[in-house]
Amino acid sequence: MKMNKILLIDDEEDILDVLSLSLRSDGYDVITAASGEEGLKAFEKESPPIVLTDLKMPGMDGLDVLKRLKNTNPDTEVIVITGHGDMDSAIDALRYGASDFVNKPVREEALEIALKRAKEKLVIREKLRAYTLDLENMCHIAIGEVKRKSDFQDKLITSSNDGVVATDENGIIVIFNPGAETIFGISRIDVVRKTEFAELFPPETADAFTLMFKSGKEMGDVGWKEVTIHRENKSDVPVRFSAALLYDGEDIIGSVGFFQDLSEIKRLEQELVKSERLAAIGQTVARLAHYIKNILTGLKGGTYIVNIGLDKNDTDKLRTGWCMVEKNVGRISSLVSDLLTYSRERSPEYRNCLPNDIVEDVCELMEGTAMENQIKIVRDFGPRVKAVSMDPDMVHRTLLNLVSNAVDACIFDLDDTKQHEVSVKTRLEKGNIIRFEVADNGCGMNEEVKNKIFTAFFSTKGGKGTGLGLLVIQKLVYEHGGSIDILSEVGEGSTFIVRLPHKKAV
Amino acid sequence: MSKRVLTVDDDSDISIFVKTVLEENGYTPLVARNGETGLAIARDEGPDLIILDVLMPKQSGIRMYRELKTDESLKNIPVIILSGIAKRTFLRSQEALTEFGDQSIPEPDVYIEKPVEPLELAETVKGLIG
Repeated sequence: MKMNKILLIDDEEDILDVLSLSLRSDGYDVITAASGEEGLKAFEKESPPIVLTDLKMPGMDGLDVLKRLKNTNPDTEVIVITGHGDMDSAIDALRYGASDFVNKPVREEALEIALKRAKEKLVIREKLRAYTLDLENMCHIAIGEVKRKSDFQDKLITSSNDGVVATDENGIIVIFNPGAETIFGISRIDVVRKTEFAELFPPETADAFTLMFKSGKEMGDVGWKEVTIHRENKSDVPVRFSAALLYDGEDIIGSVGFFQDLSEIKRLEQELVKSERLAAIGQTVARLAHYIKNILTGLKGGTYIVNIGLDKNDTDKLRTGWCMVEKNVGRISSLVSDLLTYSRERSPEYRNCLPNDIVEDVCELMEGTAMENQIKIVRDFGPRVKAVSMDPDMVHRTLLNLVSNAVDACIFDLDDTKQHEVSVKTRLEKGNIIRFEVADNGCGMNEEVKNKIFTAFFSTKGGKGTGLGLLVIQKLVYEHGGSIDILSEVGEGSTFIVRLPHKKAV
Repeated sequence: MSKRVLTVDDDSDISIFVKTVLEENGYTPLVARNGETGLAIARDEGPDLIILDVLMPKQSGIRMYRELKTDESLKNIPVIILSGIAKRTFLRSQEALTEFGDQSIPEPDVYIEKPVEPLELAETVKGLIG
């Protein structure tokens, strides 16, 4: 804006001349008008920032001019010229928005001061306007930025695959993103600002939140935990969740929980286990073929000897050959049974049984082989092990495998000075658990063997083992919810401990 | 006196079968159930032929074969390897041992993969020692 443009309005020609001359010499661009009407026209045309007007004029007087100017442009600096001692008019003018007044006769110093003030005000106003504009701009930008950030965060929460659930400080749900909708199977409209977390979350999660709210900062965040969410009319969802309190300074303002859907991961895990099992079978078919070849050799050998026995009417040969045939038929059937058990998923069949009787039966079955090899079978059955409900076939199979392994470990032992012994123990343990323990003082296992015994088709028995026995046992024990532990020292022997949960006999 | 044949196999079925085949064909069988006793019998008795299994506990046939072939008094006894594993696998294991610094040893006279027919076994034995 041109700050040195002045509109000078006075009906007295001499004053106009004198003042305009003196103002021009001070560097102002002066427009003159001889009446109020003329002055307004000039103002509209030139829009000067400063107007100097006489008050007393015929027609439209200075006060009128002032009012109209201020109406048109309130920022205009209007200085009024008053008659000598006419204080009332001056005060009126100031009331209507004049910025200053000068008395007649107009003294140059007074005018100079008034103009200077007017100019200063203009400058300040100009600065203020620029500043305000700037502020508005900055405000606009800042708001835009905040909005963008909040939009971004909003989108972040909305588009997260994880369920994000936030509550206020009272535990009322305030954020419930689409991920949470999917996981919980509920629309956000039904929960946001309506539901407390305790009503929605599974009990374990709700407890974690309650504890977190109660203990505040002391506890810190809740790390990842796995829980299952039960949805109405829909399948359960396995999830893992973590939770944190939200603070504003020291004050708790709410909480947030993150839920990750584990269904896909769980499904893949199960598939992996399945495919690993299939791969294990596939990879070791060669090993299996070797084992079958041995059986076949036994069968062929048996029939050959039987034939000789028949030809020569030799009962001894017949018996020997027939024994071989029988033994190898047995080997084939146990191999097939192992393979089937290993490759098939099976749930335990709970029946009432007496575990000690099952174990006794196993000991009796193995007694013959043990005696042939000068091995003693020592029984130590816990008297508190009474009738229970568990899978008796599984127990029988597991124990038979372990006892027969223990007998083999004694046969394989090079140390002939030992009195070889296999001890079979049963005990009742806390939490409805029965512990079965099979210990031998045979050859024992080194670390390498220990690490491999649950590997498919791994066998230390040359062609005699399928390399499936322990693997099958492990699978059966796990399916029964039990555990299997091994202690072994080379030359000292091995102990296998199987713990199986049982139900009350009915 | 009939010729003596040592059979080394941990599988009792194979042992009995081989023993019977040998008896039926007029040989005297000697039986060992692992490489260790096999080697001891070979040294004590000096059999005319050895029929050896590869996969056995204690001392495997792979090791026993090397011992036989590196022992001055035993290296000329013909050996039949009778095994469930493929000949290729057996030879590779021998090559591996040779590479590890052991001296190179000759291939077995005959390698038979299980299962073996009685007639095949009898004729192989006859072919080697008559």
